[in-house]
Amino acid sequence: MRRTTSKSTATHVAPLHRCDASRGEQLVRLGLGPGKWDHLVALAGNPNTGKSTVFNALTGLRQHTGNWPGKTVARAEGVFAHRDRRVKVVDLPGTYSLQAGSVDEEVARDFILFGQPDVTVVVVDATRLERNLNLVIQVLEITERVVVCLNLMDEARRHGIAIDAGKLARELGVPVIPTVARDKTGINELLDAVEAVASGALRTRPFQIVEHRPDLEAAVSRLLPAIDKAFPGLPNSRWVALRLLNADERIEKAVRSGELMQFVRAADNRVPGEGTGRGVDSIAEGGLGEDALSRASELRWTLRPDFHDSLVEGIYGAARRITERSVARGVKKARFDLDRALDRILTSRSLGFPVMLLILAVVFWITVAGANVPSAFLASLLLDTVHPVLKGAAASAGIPGWMDGLALDGIYLATAWVVSVMLPPMAIFFPLFTLLEDFGYLPRVAFNLDSLFRRTGAHGKQALTMSMGFGCNAAGVVATRVIDSPRERLIAIVTNNFSLCNGRWPTQILIATIFIGALAPAHWAGLVSAAAVVSVAVLGIVAMFLASWLLSRTVLKGEASTFSLELPPYRPPRILQTLYTSVVDRTLIVLWRAVVFAAPAGAAIWLISNITLGGTSVAERLVGWLDPLGLLVGLNGVVLLAYVVAIPANEIVIPTVLMLTVLTGGMAGVGAGAGVMFEMESVSAAGELLRAGGWTLLTAVNLMLFSLLHNPCSTTLFTIYRETKSARWTALSAFLPLTMGFVVCFLVTQVWRLVV
Amino acid sequence: MVDPVVALLAFALLVLVSAVLGWPRRGLLPRAMNLLRQTERVRLEDVLKHLYNCEYAGTRATVESVAGALAVSRAKAVRLLARLDELGLARPDAGGSSLTDGGRAYALRVVRTHRLWERYLADRTGVKAVDWHEHAERREHTLRASEAEDLAAELGHPLYDPHGDPIPTADGELPPRSGVALTSLRPGTRATVVHLEDEPREVYERLVAEGLTPLVRVEVLESEPGTIRFQLGGQERVLEPVVASSVTVRPIERKGGREGQVRRLDELRVGEAARVVGISQACQGPQRRRLLDLGVVPGTIVRAELVSPGGDPVAYEIRGALVALREEQASWIEVEDAEDAADNK
Repeated sequence: MRRTTSKSTATHVAPLHRCDASRGEQLVRLGLGPGKWDHLVALAGNPNTGKSTVFNALTGLRQHTGNWPGKTVARAEGVFAHRDRRVKVVDLPGTYSLQAGSVDEEVARDFILFGQPDVTVVVVDATRLERNLNLVIQVLEITERVVVCLNLMDEARRHGIAIDAGKLARELGVPVIPTVARDKTGINELLDAVEAVASGALRTRPFQIVEHRPDLEAAVSRLLPAIDKAFPGLPNSRWVALRLLNADERIEKAVRSGELMQFVRAADNRVPGEGTGRGVDSIAEGGLGEDALSRASELRWTLRPDFHDSLVEGIYGAARRITERSVARGVKKARFDLDRALDRILTSRSLGFPVMLLILAVVFWITVAGANVPSAFLASLLLDTVHPVLKGAAASAGIPGWMDGLALDGIYLATAWVVSVMLPPMAIFFPLFTLLEDFGYLPRVAFNLDSLFRRTGAHGKQALTMSMGFGCNAAGVVATRVIDSPRERLIAIVTNNFSLCNGRWPTQILIATIFIGALAPAHWAGLVSAAAVVSVAVLGIVAMFLASWLLSRTVLKGEASTFSLELPPYRPPRILQTLYTSVVDRTLIVLWRAVVFAAPAGAAIWLISNITLGGTSVAERLVGWLDPLGLLVGLNGVVLLAYVVAIPANEIVIPTVLMLTVLTGGMAGVGAGAGVMFEMESVSAAGELLRAGGWTLLTAVNLMLFSLLHNPCSTTLFTIYRETKSARWTALSAFLPLTMGFVVCFLVTQVWRLVV
Repeated sequence: MVDPVVALLAFALLVLVSAVLGWPRRGLLPRAMNLLRQTERVRLEDVLKHLYNCEYAGTRATVESVAGALAVSRAKAVRLLARLDELGLARPDAGGSSLTDGGRAYALRVVRTHRLWERYLADRTGVKAVDWHEHAERREHTLRASEAEDLAAELGHPLYDPHGDPIPTADGELPPRSGVALTSLRPGTRATVVHLEDEPREVYERLVAEGLTPLVRVEVLESEPGTIRFQLGGQERVLEPVVASSVTVRPIERKGGREGQVRRLDELRVGEAARVVGISQACQGPQRRRLLDLGVVPGTIVRAELVSPGGDPVAYEIRGALVALREEQASWIEVEDAEDAADNK
């Protein structure tokens, strides 16, 4: 385990720590990609302090940032050069503390402790200094190699808060660099400070709390000798003692295995000339660690049970004193008047909901109105122009019919369909949503609606993931990351599918226009069919609440729940960057996944329509088998088969239904051939085709219901699996709405037949 | 086509059958599962636990008390005690039965697992307080000793279970019980709750509903036959002595000097500020950690800033940040008037 200096570049100049074997292994275990760098920098901070913005300013990467607590769940990393040094930055999850009470906190804490970053940069929100110092002090307990990035200085100034960075640096004993990461002010100074600390040119004297409660101090001072004996030279033995008294399992393990020794070595090697002379070899002996552990468990009995509380109390007490000393003015008179005035309007009893509905209506209107033209353009380009050209080219090149059928009629058409229906609304909807998010309005929506969601056992933020689901369920599921309470997050994930997504609206509108609008007089038709579609969407919201209520009282009863909702200060949104990042982050990623799933679906659709067994195509046989079940729930075999093969994308359900109706009905002169999806020239033509296929008003109603209540598309299911890492919750998300769909359609059908 | 009446009737039947079979706790399947779990070993372990409880409480375990505790016939109880005698875990003595050293060690292992699991449920999951005991009754028989030790390490070697019962160490050490019944206190006495009896469930439900939990402080206002009135977290509560006798408390001496009027955070009006006195012990596990991390510690000045249109949650300014808390959370936070809070405005 001992570091073999001969392996490294023969020179002993700092930095020596160019990942030796054990450290490389350690980093891979912590999820860090391989690569070469001179300095490893960890980026820690409270949620919503602009940590991701700092990361982007450092690395030039465009990590999506938002005015939301808890954005970075997956860890981001990037490498950049600064004064001939390659610096690797790792963005840790935003956490309120490092007590390792949640997965995020554990990830952050483990990285700072065992990842051995050369410097840990703690990003601090200057407008909420006291709260943020809680984390800073905890980081200082673990490592002395810290630089504090005092971010959002512009906001602090706007709110009348003036912080004396020099004084704060003296109080904390580490460099404090004021920055405005959004316009890169102070980033160079931050890098210089990082360099100075990393190279050892600047030695820090980190602030330590030494005045804990007497019983605690007594226990610590009796435990310290045992730890120092086991790990001589351990720079943070005090902190280790506190963690052992708190019976922190991870630290106990590190003591037992001697893993903590790496920390001693790292500390040694970083300061040139001090690395020798200490009995490094004699340390890893077992037994001494065990001594410390058994001493700790004896001492634990001398502590009062509210031990953890008083630790936090001590940290906050120190945070308060430091804040008072280093804030020149404003901590007591911080002017959030404008914010509060705005808050009072946006969350008021009378105006809160109207304003919210108005804003949402405008967002949806812009999306629908703005998406029409590009959607039509993409459809005519990809489906009506490029497809025939490709077909012609394939024919003239002499490619066999089955091959071009599979590739062009199957795979290409399905993919093109998904792109043209999905891309434009998403490219408009997501940026608009992101702007509201950046501004800080969305947390207020969650605040307004929380009482509604609380009653069903859900979190107010679910209102937002639900709205997001109207754009795309997969994106809605990803958005649930902002819900930091495990139970409520699972509820939001499982029920997101009840938001009628962008891929299902066209189906609803088409069927409502053909069958329901037709019931009303011509001049009312448009309104009636629109009302029908909206009712289905509202029914989806009702189903969402019902399912949330059910889940929170049954299967999710035992999941841990920790509600908190921080309302960040309002921030002027930056439109261009938002457009760029939301298109790249959300739209393109979701689109890419959809395409990946749609292509095989296209192939499957073409194949089942063209492979024949004993003279009948596979599709016809399947439809025959599914018909009895379909009729029982007021649908038919064609619809059920369409939903099976179109699991990857709701967008292609209607084209598939039309194609299969023609195929199984043996209709001549309509459509484009077996396995080739198509849409009718006009709505009335589609209506005639469906009626000829045996559709009635009942079928239409059931299709609309089933389109709302069925399993999520495979893109969404895949996303659910990635977010929950659990086959169980993924299966529940699929079968809960599917069962509801079958039951509702069945009841509607049977009652209808009984009454009508 | 199927006749709709037939179809609907068949559906109703299907729903009925699945409800009868699968209803949580009362359905046939859960009951059958429960019976399957009642193996000989489980029964014997339950008897050992009962003998241990009697010994701890200083009462005598008899055939009747065993039959009552396990809800089995007396004949069955006799058979179980005879089997324990055979195994050398318990010995019959005058009119009852008592543990041997081996039996005591065995019983302590079961008790340890039970209490560790309750601690786990309280700290790491959202399972409701009234359900802890029932879950633990099952897990105490299925968790292996090594698993119990892993659990103890993960939980940070807790000393007490969430009802205030000490958790025996792996070597079976256990401190003696101390404290007196809440019903025995004179009006005007202040006390800290040290233990709640978690059985029977109905009684425990009442205690939880009244906000009682280990480490909370109460002050007895009135103690009459038929009713006991006390103050808890700034509110007056009333219990029947039958229920209150399940609460064990340790009286505390009155400190000199005036203590400010303690209120709950959810009683604050908008714009009003107060100083945090503490978080009620009823709030445990992840919930408590989150509140502490947000800066809700004794001494923090908190001001109610915004009320959501539904009246709940309310946004509070805590250590410079605006944080919305639900009414339930705010009710866990005890505050007192802060003289200097006014000039914070």
